[in-house]
Amino acid sequence: MENRHWLLPEGIDEVLPPNALALERLRRALLDRYGSWGYELVSPPLIEYLESLLTGTGGDLDLKTFKLTDQLTGRTMGVRADITPQVARIDAHLLRAGHPTRLCYCGTVLNTRNDDFGGSRSPLQLGAELYGHAGVESELEILCLMLETLECAAIPEVYLDLGHVGIFRALTRQAGLTPPQEMALFDALQRKAIPEIEGLVAGFGAEAQSAAMLSALAGLSGGPEVLERARVSLSAAPEPAHEAIAQLEHLARQMSRRRPDVQVHFDLAELRGYHYHTGVVFAAYAPGLGTELARGGRYDDIGRVFGRARPACGFSADLKLLYRLGQSEVEHQGGIFAPACDEPGLVQRIRELREQGQRVVCALPGQEGDARAMGCGETLEKQGMEWIVAPVV
Amino acid sequence: MKFDTPITIALSKGRIFKQTLPLLSEAGIELRDDPETSRKLILDTNRPEVKIVLIRATDVPTYVQWGAADLGVTGKDVLVEHGGEGLYEPLDLEIARCRLMVAGFACARLGGHRLRIATKYVKAARDHFAAKGQQVEVIKLYGSMELAPLVGLSDLIVDLVESGNTLKANGLVPLEHIADISSRVVVNKAAWKMKHATVEALLEVLRGAVARRGEA
Repeated sequence: MENRHWLLPEGIDEVLPPNALALERLRRALLDRYGSWGYELVSPPLIEYLESLLTGTGGDLDLKTFKLTDQLTGRTMGVRADITPQVARIDAHLLRAGHPTRLCYCGTVLNTRNDDFGGSRSPLQLGAELYGHAGVESELEILCLMLETLECAAIPEVYLDLGHVGIFRALTRQAGLTPPQEMALFDALQRKAIPEIEGLVAGFGAEAQSAAMLSALAGLSGGPEVLERARVSLSAAPEPAHEAIAQLEHLARQMSRRRPDVQVHFDLAELRGYHYHTGVVFAAYAPGLGTELARGGRYDDIGRVFGRARPACGFSADLKLLYRLGQSEVEHQGGIFAPACDEPGLVQRIRELREQGQRVVCALPGQEGDARAMGCGETLEKQGMEWIVAPVV
Repeated sequence: MKFDTPITIALSKGRIFKQTLPLLSEAGIELRDDPETSRKLILDTNRPEVKIVLIRATDVPTYVQWGAADLGVTGKDVLVEHGGEGLYEPLDLEIARCRLMVAGFACARLGGHRLRIATKYVKAARDHFAAKGQQVEVIKLYGSMELAPLVGLSDLIVDLVESGNTLKANGLVPLEHIADISSRVVVNKAAWKMKHATVEALLEVLRGAVARRGEA
């Protein structure tokens, strides 16, 4: 083909009929659902000064963010790669409420690399954040809202993965690791590269007990028995690690009471978003997808750089991915085909039908294709003085 | 062992495949199809729940990363090039061992300015020289790296060295050690969470087999 102007960049997609409408319906249903839970919608800008987008988030987000120069000020701007920091800015700087704040959002983000969200570089990020409460109760609320989101998107079978960054943080602090050592261990733990972890830990020169606990961390994943095992193998860990395990236990107990149907997996070495998470981290998985389809956790200090640190937790997902994986029904619209005619009676009848919520498609003079081709099962026909809706035969 | 859930294992033809089969048979997994004669890419085993896909070595991390296979066996060299994003690599099978090395003529200068390095392992080569504070030009080749210095295409090569015979036959010598390479079990993240009992049980059997072989 000579002309390649139709070609889209890699990882940039678009949604066509009838899926675009079904996706939009799902978006509305979810935002309405969040509204019914008391979450208020915010709509942050697509583009901001880079510093505001990146403060306190670590280097990963920097590499993922598209950048351009503002012609007015010469400053560098970024196209958001994640909406969470924007919502944190809104809570910390603009709303400044004393009571708990519940916010939700849905918008397109851009990623320079498509190593996330199933290959797309333009996910439709959807999420909810709860600010101003530091207990298991707010985490439970966010978790339940995430599960409801997946149900609403008709994802058939959901597995929940729970972890807590506080355990790794407490152990590295106790072992006295330098930041480069901590990063090397973090990297190996993310890959569960157990032989490497043992080699690394042996090289750190930490005392035997804390070295053994760092090595044990990689093996602490599985069913609910993991927390019991953690209590034993991490018994000499500092207090914050024990608190973290207790928090996880509490959250898991509440979860199983609220949602006994959901399978929970624990992974104490899972450090997703370690740079800004401060407590519980969680993700949802479903059969047929090799990566997580929704994720979240606690990130208490995120607002500090915007002038106000307060407890926060939330979750996010790519709505396009949820739609693709889910079994949402694409409804067939039907409609009424009106002849090309400007008779006042017809114009009036069309207006009435549309007001009743009917889909009326007007024929254009000399057009190609009949009612069926235009997706209509009915037509408007004149019988006497009246315009009548009749089925297409 | 018992398999609670269906599981797909990705392997590559050749050395890794030959050396992995005895380990799998310790877990009670025997191939039904003979890969040498069969043209099938998905091989059945004596366990209806276990399927084996045979793919190119460099494709194993990709299949496992996107969940097309639950786990796989791949060389550390391939993992380094792939980046290992979204994968767990919990077990070193200690098979298909070799070394990733810088090689060249015995008289080659290792510290020269903007050396040209011919290699299949672009990322590993770049990382190695960058860690030494050295700027190099990397030339990506798909095979027969030993030829590059002989015909003046490059100053040095970065390649896997097993016995060193191919190097010697071409008048080259290993010059610098980059990494010890062996095969790893890689596991898809989602499979790790959702099929944990099965994956963990299989890993446990393999871990035992590796340890016993180490003692023997």
